[in-house]
Amino acid sequence: MQITLVQGLLIALVVFICALDKHMETFMWFRPLVVAFFTGLILGDVRLGLQAGAIAELSYLGLLTVGGTVPPDPLFAGLMTTVLAHTTGCDVSTALGLAVPFALIGQWIGTATNTFYAGFLPKVDRDAAAGNEKGLAQTMYFGWLLYSAAFALAAFLSVYALQNSIASFVAAFPVWLVHGFEVAGGLMPAVGLALLLVVMLKKENVAYLLAGFVIMIITNCQNILPVAIIAGCIAFIGFNRDVEMNKAAAAAPAVQEGDFEDGI
Amino acid sequence: MASNKITKRDLDEMAVRSMAEQCCFSFERMQAVGFCYGMTKCFRKIHGDNNEEMAAAMQNNLDFINTEPHMAAILQGLIVSMEEAGQDRSLIHSLKTGLFGPLAGLGDAIWWYTAMPIIASICCSLASQNSVLGPIFYILFWAITAILSRIWFVRMGYNAGVKSIQFIGDNAAALTKAAGILGVMVVGGLIPSYVSFAFPETLVISSVSVQGIFDSILPNILPLGFVFLLYWLFKKKNVNTMKLILLVIALSVALSFFGIM
Repeated sequence: MQITLVQGLLIALVVFICALDKHMETFMWFRPLVVAFFTGLILGDVRLGLQAGAIAELSYLGLLTVGGTVPPDPLFAGLMTTVLAHTTGCDVSTALGLAVPFALIGQWIGTATNTFYAGFLPKVDRDAAAGNEKGLAQTMYFGWLLYSAAFALAAFLSVYALQNSIASFVAAFPVWLVHGFEVAGGLMPAVGLALLLVVMLKKENVAYLLAGFVIMIITNCQNILPVAIIAGCIAFIGFNRDVEMNKAAAAAPAVQEGDFEDGI
Repeated sequence: MASNKITKRDLDEMAVRSMAEQCCFSFERMQAVGFCYGMTKCFRKIHGDNNEEMAAAMQNNLDFINTEPHMAAILQGLIVSMEEAGQDRSLIHSLKTGLFGPLAGLGDAIWWYTAMPIIASICCSLASQNSVLGPIFYILFWAITAILSRIWFVRMGYNAGVKSIQFIGDNAAALTKAAGILGVMVVGGLIPSYVSFAFPETLVISSVSVQGIFDSILPNILPLGFVFLLYWLFKKKNVNTMKLILLVIALSVALSFFGIM
């Protein structure tokens, strides 16, 4: 069955709203179960929306955003599984497979905005330096809306205008370019961490940085908690020692202060 | 409540703003913009017309942060309470840096690896039986937890900060040092998990894998080296961040094009 223009526009609207949530990851409206349900409502086939949503939700359950990585997009997976099952009449599990190129489009939008939004940071820094919280909020809202608008546009083109051409476009897209942005996504957190170190790193702290790094490697664990606990223990020991030394220094008669310093 | 500037209402409003914690996400500093946005209203209330203090508070919360969106509310509550009490900003900064990673791990475990699979599997089985209760229950569950958890977490963080004000004030120097150790060590641990810089297995020079050579020296030595290279460029050469980012992107695409990465 064909998608009408009105349905295409309604879907774009729903995707816009769900993408607003996807950027926040707050209400889970970007999850396939919800997106497919709404899409089913628009297409007049709620049952299909439920079936497609259930299968896509379970398939994309393991693909969570961990760290800064961007997995294939669950929003587009839920949307296109429903739409493709509706238009081609195939069953939902076939449609789930056909929806993969479109899930990649969603992924690319995410990678692109994650990359380009680094360009907003100089303006954000300027606003912060001026104590201008409104400027910061404007930038944030702009980024938020732009992201969702990109999703809505891509969804409209995918479901209404260019369904076939988009699938072949994805197939023909140069792999090295997509992969290049993935590589950039892996390298760019180094910029943020380096900036963090410019603020935090002192000569006497370098040892702790290296220790944390090595512990993370040898535990070979993606969870930061073990390192944080060890760091907490070391910090706690140091803290207690400092507090005791301060107490001792306070308790000792003030006259001896000079001697105390000379002694060390 | 310390100076009585921040009311319960302000905290609840911050909990709502905290939902936008991840907005304007960028690879460079991840959630910095949304995280800072959540607290600006409270900062303004604390500092009033004093724009210098306002600026310092905002700048203190605009560098790299990546935590779990629900858990960010705890940090925001804590930071606002410390800001209100006029605590040393470098202590605030170190605590934030030391805590966001562990909180992310905890939050991922609770929300994404426990709640999500359970709720999803229940709702999916309802949906596959053609019941609209599936998506509806799913939407309701996440809406309620999204709001209630944040209201609770913001208060939790704020109260923790308020309760320890006396303690923090008495031990500020020692605490700053300890928080610095915690923060820097956690950043050390974040490097191998966030920065990926590895040559593909297929890249060999006279039948020796290039990545294998680096791994035999020290696993993840490349990410570490890369962070220090950038650190050096920022600190000693004052290189512009934006230029550096464009350079990183160009380099990545080029490396990918030639099949080196």
